[in-house]
Amino acid sequence: MKVTFPHMGNAWIVIQTLFESLNIEVVVPPQNSKQTLTLGSKLAPEAACLPLKLNLGNYIEAVREGADTIVITGGIGPCRFGYYGEIERQILREAGYHFDVVTLEPPDGSLRGLAQRIRYLAGKKNSWASILKALRFAYLKCVALDQVEDMIHAARPRLSDSHETERLYEEGKNRLAQAMTVKGIRDSVCSIRQSLRDHQMAGIKNADKFHKPLRIGIIGEIYTILDPFTSVGIEAELGRLGVEVDRSIYLSGWVGNHIFQGLAPGYRSIRSYPSHAKPFLSHFVGGHGQETVGAAVKFAREGFDGIIQIFPLSCMPEIVAASVLPRVQETYQVPIMTLIVDEHTGHAGIQTRLEAFVDLLERPSLKGISETSREGVSLVGER
Amino acid sequence: MKIGFPRALFYFDYFPFWAGFFYHLGIEVETSPPTHRQIMEDGLKKTSDETCLPLKLLAGHIQALKDVDAIFLPRMVSMEENTYNCPKFLGIPESLLSAVPPEIPVLSAVINWRKGQRQVLKDLRVLGMQLGKSGAEIHRAFLEGHEWQQHYQDSRGRKWDFEEKMREIEYVTRQTQKIKPENFSMQVSENHQNCQKDLKITLIGHSYLVQECYANLNLLQRLREHAEVNLIQHVEREDVEAHLSGLRKKLFWSHAKQIYGAGNKFVEDPTIDGIIYLTCFGCGTDSMVQELLAQKVRKHHKPYMVITLDEHTGEAGLVTRLEAFLDMVERRKVREGYVSAYGECLDSHSNTL
Repeated sequence: MKVTFPHMGNAWIVIQTLFESLNIEVVVPPQNSKQTLTLGSKLAPEAACLPLKLNLGNYIEAVREGADTIVITGGIGPCRFGYYGEIERQILREAGYHFDVVTLEPPDGSLRGLAQRIRYLAGKKNSWASILKALRFAYLKCVALDQVEDMIHAARPRLSDSHETERLYEEGKNRLAQAMTVKGIRDSVCSIRQSLRDHQMAGIKNADKFHKPLRIGIIGEIYTILDPFTSVGIEAELGRLGVEVDRSIYLSGWVGNHIFQGLAPGYRSIRSYPSHAKPFLSHFVGGHGQETVGAAVKFAREGFDGIIQIFPLSCMPEIVAASVLPRVQETYQVPIMTLIVDEHTGHAGIQTRLEAFVDLLERPSLKGISETSREGVSLVGER
Repeated sequence: MKIGFPRALFYFDYFPFWAGFFYHLGIEVETSPPTHRQIMEDGLKKTSDETCLPLKLLAGHIQALKDVDAIFLPRMVSMEENTYNCPKFLGIPESLLSAVPPEIPVLSAVINWRKGQRQVLKDLRVLGMQLGKSGAEIHRAFLEGHEWQQHYQDSRGRKWDFEEKMREIEYVTRQTQKIKPENFSMQVSENHQNCQKDLKITLIGHSYLVQECYANLNLLQRLREHAEVNLIQHVEREDVEAHLSGLRKKLFWSHAKQIYGAGNKFVEDPTIDGIIYLTCFGCGTDSMVQELLAQKVRKHHKPYMVITLDEHTGEAGLVTRLEAFLDMVERRKVREGYVSAYGECLDSHSNTL
């Protein structure tokens, strides 16, 4: 059995760690690329959302490296992601790929069924204690990864050499991917923090005054905000434009909430978002629709200069959120831009829009004027 | 008191319940007129571009409601155990507040059958408080609404005409003396029951697309002129449940379940000559279910066509496709589908025909 799984940003590091510490053979599919998307789009229904297309591409690329079992999580929210496992199985079967798909969720609510599926993956040689230990270790790594990512978010607008920052990020990810002990994880986080600090000190000596960058909050559908290929590297791009980025959902927050059912908080817990969203969207709408609205409110209250929502074309929960966001925008006077991505999204288009958005935020007179971004205006429609 | 009920989205499936509910409470229900050009245009202006056609129409219908004391926009979370409605149903009314005229208040109620009848009644009581009705009254109104809904659903199995049924329910709600659903007029509509056509076509799709004659350019009527049309809405619930096999995981959207289960039944039915899947651009659940169903259809070699509606759908394009499809189905029926068995199936790589 060779297990593979779909990509989602840095999640591969965590999943690989989990399987390797259980001695399960695992195939990490090649990173998301144009090729992945082309392969996936061929098989996927045209109206399906972007993550499904990328997932299918991942599997087909993993086949070439001998993968025969897919592991994916599920859920019975009204979001389409809950049905990915089954539809992917059927699509792949029809296309002639013989995968075994294991959906890690309690089938019809039975925990016993979930336990059987885990047992099927882990084989007989792993005890439950070792499975739990592996889960805990993977979770710690996940939190560490998020810490590193957050440090990089802060570092991007502050360090003078953007290539150097990206290099440090890559190095940090590699070190974490290879860490096999809890101490190793802690050490790599510390060393990345140290090297970032060193770089910043060097930068401050050169600059004459302390620079306070613009802050933009990124909200939206989890796959698109966690996966830099899908969002056309929006975080790095904004960093290059001198903007500090924060994000509504981090991987460990999602893992804690979705997989551990709220038993673990994660690096940045997403639990507080629904209460923030209450005045604007009082009921959950599946996926992270309510969290998106809540995060927008939270970012606005924290004084962020702007908010960008990203979601794949036709994402149901995010469309609901998008139609509520104009009210958040009006209430808190914070510009909100919506970016929709699909397989035709071009890098240049997104870049232009980001530059325009940042220009708009940088205009110091903005505070007094209620004029908002074009997207904001078109979202509200005729007032 | 007069409540405005938009003739869109949830109207097509759940109006009988709400009509019965408000009828019992003595509240007048005013429905918006059938969709016309102005309603569609108003709707387009007040919604985001990404959302689906039915929601845009709903926004238009909300604006078409004039002279009412409140507009009723229920949040229909779930209609049976273990299922949900589409997330866009869950986002009502918040996602449509921008379409509501500022002077008219919005009434809403959560309907969530996932947690059982007690929760539904509890949520309805919240609505009752806003209306100034007691808990007992709400309970009786709920039972009455339930009875109406049941009556309506049972009659669907006997292939009643949707529009006549709705007209009748709307008529009853305007009467002052109490009428029980059993006493509703029972004539079966003439126009499509007696005609015998050679072709049998199944039209699959959400009720709010199939029955929405303006948005689907009168597709149902056009089809009925040429063929006997079966609708998935007429399939009994037990039949739907029986045809859900083959899925390792249960579908968790109630509409999708009905579409897949009933669609599956028609796919396997050898007397059905062709299947038309009516969907709208950006429908999330359809993007999945259509794929599942298309796989089944390919396996059974049934003529299959997907029509995707949006606000730009043109009549000429639709009619051409429909005629071509019906011609093909007819020819296949006459010639028994004598197709060369040599080589590969032509449609093996396409998602849709």
